[in-house]
Amino acid sequence: MPIMQVDGYLLVPIQIDLDDRTVGRLQQQLLKEIERTRARAIILDVRMVEVIDSYISYTLSETAAMARLMGCRTVLCGIQPPVALTLAQMGVTLQEVAVARNLEHALVLAGSFQERDKGV
Amino acid sequence: MYEEKITSIIEDPAQEFDIVVRITREEDIAVARQMAKQLAQEIGFSLADVTRIATAVSELARNIYRYARQGRIMIRKRLEDRDSPGIEVIAADRGPGIPDVELVLMRGYTTWERSLGIGLSGVKRLMDSFAIHSEVGKGTVVITEKRRRTF
Repeated sequence: MPIMQVDGYLLVPIQIDLDDRTVGRLQQQLLKEIERTRARAIILDVRMVEVIDSYISYTLSETAAMARLMGCRTVLCGIQPPVALTLAQMGVTLQEVAVARNLEHALVLAGSFQERDKGV
Repeated sequence: MYEEKITSIIEDPAQEFDIVVRITREEDIAVARQMAKQLAQEIGFSLADVTRIATAVSELARNIYRYARQGRIMIRKRLEDRDSPGIEVIAADRGPGIPDVELVLMRGYTTWERSLGIGLSGVKRLMDSFAIHSEVGKGTVVITEKRRRTF
């Protein structure tokens, strides 16, 4: 999965179907990248993702919790309306994940964490 | 009860399905979900319902893979009612079975370590009808259906 480094953040545009193995691999890859780059935030762009089920939700939350322990925040953006509807109906809440309206908003949110962490 | 259900579903040649996906590997979960999505689109479900159906199939297929190691997802169009066609999704396995069906339908209950425990209750919420037949040591059959809403 391509992970881009933008201004101290790790940007992950998820453009493939998230099967269990892929989402597991993404978790491993992100943890390594956080360690390597000392990124302050991960931004996961799920605009292209058509199905997010309970296991994918669980793994995304778990990844965010792990990242948080390494001093890195997680922002999710671009959830498609049918996906939002399905997750809400199932009662999924994404723990440890900040949700943004779009990529621009995600960058603003990630920036605000940075300010807060600096104690500004 | 389970035995009757699975026999009538799997062994009766009159029971024809549009899609049968054998779940034996993790990748099969995504395959089942993709195929369900295609069939739901073909029936003319809205994008919201296509997503609900695909997500429900994903949960059912994962349960088979996790708890029974193998089983089948069977899907068919229900076109008898021309005003509201539907889709039927059946998940069947000869796995360990569920001792307490009421309990597993409770939100947040899970025996799996890395799980939200909302799979089956989620399926029930996403689909229009939901029935589960299970017997310890024999297996589990989940039968669900969704009708297309008329606009």
